[in-house]
Amino acid sequence: MSVRSRRIATTLGRHLRRASARSVRAGLAKGARLQAFAVEWREAFDELGGAFLKLGQLISVRPDEFGDELASEMSRLRDEVAPAPYSDIAAVIEQTFARPPSALFDSFEEQPLASASVAQVHAAVLAEPCRPVWGAELPAGSKVAVKVIRPGAADALLGDVAEARSIAGGRAVRALTRGIDLLALLDEFEASIRRELDLRVEGRVADRFAFDFRDDPMIAVPRIVWSRTSSRVLTMERMYGWRLSELDDAELAGIDAHGLAVHGATAFMRQVMVHGRYHADLHPSNLFVTPDSRIAYLDFGIVGHLTDTQRGDIAQVLAAFVYRDADRALRYSARLGVRVPSRKVPVLRRELGELLDVTPAGPNGDFRHFGLGFLRLLRRHSIAVPPGYGLLVKSLATVEGVARRLYPDIDIMETARPFVTRMIGTSIGSWDLLKERLPLAWRAAMRELTA
Amino acid sequence: MSDVDVMRLFAMWMLAHEQADELMKAAVARGADAAREGMTSGPDAFTDGLMAMIAEEKDRLKAGLAGGAALAPEAQDGRLEELRFEVGELRGRLDQMQASLDAIALHLGASQA
Repeated sequence: MSVRSRRIATTLGRHLRRASARSVRAGLAKGARLQAFAVEWREAFDELGGAFLKLGQLISVRPDEFGDELASEMSRLRDEVAPAPYSDIAAVIEQTFARPPSALFDSFEEQPLASASVAQVHAAVLAEPCRPVWGAELPAGSKVAVKVIRPGAADALLGDVAEARSIAGGRAVRALTRGIDLLALLDEFEASIRRELDLRVEGRVADRFAFDFRDDPMIAVPRIVWSRTSSRVLTMERMYGWRLSELDDAELAGIDAHGLAVHGATAFMRQVMVHGRYHADLHPSNLFVTPDSRIAYLDFGIVGHLTDTQRGDIAQVLAAFVYRDADRALRYSARLGVRVPSRKVPVLRRELGELLDVTPAGPNGDFRHFGLGFLRLLRRHSIAVPPGYGLLVKSLATVEGVARRLYPDIDIMETARPFVTRMIGTSIGSWDLLKERLPLAWRAAMRELTA
Repeated sequence: MSDVDVMRLFAMWMLAHEQADELMKAAVARGADAAREGMTSGPDAFTDGLMAMIAEEKDRLKAGLAGGAALAPEAQDGRLEELRFEVGELRGRLDQMQASLDAIALHLGASQA
């Protein structure tokens, strides 16, 4: 067993023993016990750092697989680590472009703007103009942010994944994580780490996002400088403003908080319903409010994708929530891969109806309550939830939370209503659907007329 | 066989039309009210909401036709923009490949020197 492996095992063991002892000593009820374990998992991941910070982020967007308590606790993890020395960062840039930062940029700040487990970001100034994929030219002298993969990050992160995989196979860990497929999680995690280690992927997503919102002056996306970008270096326009997590009341008073909240939520609905690709990691530190009251998106590390058919089915599930229709929710969730055994359908329909009944409507509407409650319901009945479905529900709940941080009374489903209704309305024009439904409609009309 | 009472037939047709029109207007009004008041319950609310949106679309169509707007060029603009974006993406990839090539050349030059 390697030193790192031993450290991982002892740290996890210590925290989980502590949670277990506390649960027994205090005779905690199930909910409080889950919460106690979630806190210890989070503290263990924080202590272990490296890949565990990223793994925590992945868990935080999957309440369907890991439950609300753990997902919500993991969302408190902050991927912030001590910066790598400037000489190491400069060496990566020089290996990549065969020239030092001073020869590539007009100026390059040695002190990083941010430092996380995969990469750190430095401020710089462009020496030459750059024509981006979309949008106006960035002239020489433009301020940019240069994201650089930390030296050794790939080996350390993938090494941690390998260690975690060997520990996950152990009997004690399997017993503690009943119902969670740890090895599948680690496979998904490794794939996401490998994607994140190639910064060109993030650059391409940012370009596409800028194009998708080209007609929306309130949305800002950093332009990418491709001549100063590689798999290990990403140079992008520097954005200024306040992170949503840093906005205080005084700043909120100076902006159109209601307008921004509604626009942000609408932009998300548009990503899901119109473009079929959405920013799936919209926590408050990934969103800026610019001084001219625009919403700037940063960090396109986790992106969800939907096919046209899935978009239509998701519109139907949202319509079920907006219009309080449990049957519709179950019918279209099944098309999205939520397989409910027929013997469980009646009880699930009844419980879902009850959930809709207790979910407040109108401006006090609460998608988080409904969405996460629905996932909990499925978990309780041991019904598997496809990863994309869980990710979308969590993303919607996050967007609602972010929008409420700006404007507490926002009704996020009200922003969904036009997209949902239009999407379903448009689908009526599909020839296949007409062929399927017209005879049924005709029969129903005749039944009514002759009743 | 008795003659068809054309007047009565048209009157029935007119009445059916009038009633359908009133039902449609009522659905549009309900849908618009629901949009103002937030979520309402029941699958029927969806149909009302859809009717309200169709009415908005009708108003837009009416305004567009009155203003002499043509519909086709918009779609053409969309395709043109999509093409421009694809060219932009290709340019971005070429810029990035050029930077890699320059770097390789510089590395090779340095090792041969």
